[in-house]
Amino acid sequence: MVERKKIEIPEGKKVKVSVGEEEFPFEISPMFEGERIRKGDMFVELAGPKTMGFELVISLPPDQVEDMKATLVGIDLDEMEEGGRYPFAMIYYIAGEKIDPDIEPVVERRNHEFQNYIEGYMHINSRDTIWIRIGKNAVKKGLKSLLQIAKATMLLYKNEMPFIEKIEALYITDKELIERLLNELARPIYEERDARVEKLHDEDVEEFYSCSLCQSFAPTHVCIISPDRPALCGAITWFDARAASKIDPEGPNRPVPKGECIDPISGEYTGVNEFAKQESGGSVERVKLHSFFDSPHTSCGCFEVIGFYMPEVDGIGFVHRGYPHPAPNGLPFSTMAGQTGGGKQTVGFLGVGMAYFRSKKFLQADGGWYRVVWMPKELKEKVLKYIPEDMRDKIATEEDAKTIDELKEFLKRVDHPVVKGVVRPADGKKITEGWVEEKEEEKVEEVEEVPAEEAPTVLPTQAPQLPQIPMAQSMPTIKLIIKNARIYIDKIVVRKVEDKKS
Amino acid sequence: MVVIAITGKGGTGKTAIAALLVKFISEKTSNVLAVDADPDSNLPDALGVEVEKTLGDVRELFQVTRDSLGTVDKGLWLEGKIFEVIHEFENFDLLVMGRPEGEGCYCFVNNLLRSILRKFMKHYDHVIVDCEAGLEHFSRKTIESADYIVVVTDTSRKGLKTAKKIKDLVKELNLNFREIFLVGNKIMGNEAKEMIKDFAKRENFVLLELLPYDEKVIELDLKGEPIINLPNDSEFARKVRFIAEVLTGWGS
Repeated sequence: MVERKKIEIPEGKKVKVSVGEEEFPFEISPMFEGERIRKGDMFVELAGPKTMGFELVISLPPDQVEDMKATLVGIDLDEMEEGGRYPFAMIYYIAGEKIDPDIEPVVERRNHEFQNYIEGYMHINSRDTIWIRIGKNAVKKGLKSLLQIAKATMLLYKNEMPFIEKIEALYITDKELIERLLNELARPIYEERDARVEKLHDEDVEEFYSCSLCQSFAPTHVCIISPDRPALCGAITWFDARAASKIDPEGPNRPVPKGECIDPISGEYTGVNEFAKQESGGSVERVKLHSFFDSPHTSCGCFEVIGFYMPEVDGIGFVHRGYPHPAPNGLPFSTMAGQTGGGKQTVGFLGVGMAYFRSKKFLQADGGWYRVVWMPKELKEKVLKYIPEDMRDKIATEEDAKTIDELKEFLKRVDHPVVKGVVRPADGKKITEGWVEEKEEEKVEEVEEVPAEEAPTVLPTQAPQLPQIPMAQSMPTIKLIIKNARIYIDKIVVRKVEDKKS
Repeated sequence: MVVIAITGKGGTGKTAIAALLVKFISEKTSNVLAVDADPDSNLPDALGVEVEKTLGDVRELFQVTRDSLGTVDKGLWLEGKIFEVIHEFENFDLLVMGRPEGEGCYCFVNNLLRSILRKFMKHYDHVIVDCEAGLEHFSRKTIESADYIVVVTDTSRKGLKTAKKIKDLVKELNLNFREIFLVGNKIMGNEAKEMIKDFAKRENFVLLELLPYDEKVIELDLKGEPIINLPNDSEFARKVRFIAEVLTGWGS
């Protein structure tokens, strides 16, 4: 971990210090959020795409932080030329009983929001891509020092995040120092944070998040986004969903309390089941996050990659949207996607996001990578580093096999685990029998097995269609699912309701 | 913020009118955003400015970059990129929506776009949108609503038919607009004038102006020169200036 310590200001640099509170010559209000300061109205531009800069929050022990102190290294606003562009870095030291390096990104993220409350001040982006503009109007009103901005921001921090007991700011406009700190301090810390994400797992958090962005065309689809399972469109991680739900709690990403863990290997949780049941109108009762065969996650139609089961080899293949040819099962992506989309739980097919291949829990219930037998070369190359080393040569591509027969031969030749039976790494249990010796017998079993699992989910769609009764727009619609029912009706009379009956 | 959408069948001259509206409105206030929301036309050319990147490029970049963003806030990242493709000129800013979506899922990026565009557009006094007859960005709600919809038509059957279609579409889209106007363009002779007037009355449009057929406009277009170079004292320019005055002062 990068050591957290105060930055030493090299000798000979121009330094300005201010301690304590002060009056501000500008208004501070959420009303100014999103304000774009146009080029013509701009006094100066700080950091941004044409120069450099960064923002960084560092946690320190309380005795090292001087509360409400602001320091500026380099020239100040009143020494800058109108219309000029300058490098800029903002560093905040924070301390408090509940403060540790884990909270740094959470605090850092708010700098954007708070600074945009400042009238005549525009803050865009985050980390080392920040971009600031200060308006002529702000300077006209009396803004003359960046220390005033630092003070206002610190004040907002202390008001809005009371767990910050002490805060100190170091702003820099000195190019040389910014460049050095960017490479030696800020970027290593950003990388460290990103690496921490890879280590965050389903069991480490209390809440997952839902995503209902796709419900307009897949009404019963409920995406459950967990640290180990990003959204299947590939766009939304647990962190994104958490950020979105904080901004708009009633929006498409809502928290899903995990509840009790029913099965850690397949990833089944009471909270997820309840949520899925409620949101799908009862059509989905159980969802196992890391399972391919038993109660898999629904698929919306947006997925980047589709997984498909090939009973002939008792293995799973994957094909991505960009691969135009048929997979060994004879079907191209589009055909399989058509069968799987729409928010159904389709046993035998599963839509996933590219990022799911990175997951430590990737199809954990079904043996994960040890059950994967085929993927297009392009896809395989993209995810190669996430494939366990002992499996990298055992997963076929279109260069090795284009048909089931070719695939069978390939798998036998490389001694793929599916041939003799897959032992799932999660608990060491042998989950498949293999097929090389008792080929004929096995085949029969497979055929029986698959429909049996499919039965409960397929049944409702096969139920006889009742005549559609047109309903008024304002009437609440309900979804009726009848399972294993025998209905006997002697007579049905459908009559138009007469208004003027009385 | 007042959003003015200029639409109509391709070739009716809507982009020329949109460009002149940007010119005249931005002479009064510098807080103007021009939006090119028609992939088939070219508002930047008409305005005499060059544009390198479009919102479509940013959207595609997001699609291929999103996996490698780590814990960076994707909303902030996207907002930053959008701010980079807003082209800034003396009197106005310009955003080009650019190419349509490719394959794959755009739900997430479009949802982010909607909230970002909504937030930043409201800081402009006037937003002038040159959009195709299908009103794609309004139907997707990337642009939330239009206060004034200006439908441009010539006397051709197709132009009028499209104008009528737009009117129906606007109704369907539930745009909370304040008024829908009709502007007749390339009008030669009284017969043509009467025809447009009748059409406006029949279809319930407020007829805003009848613009003449102007050789100079056609010539600028043919040479690929900016339409804003049209002399201010030409009948065409004077009439568009009048439209600008009506649109900025309507209701007040």
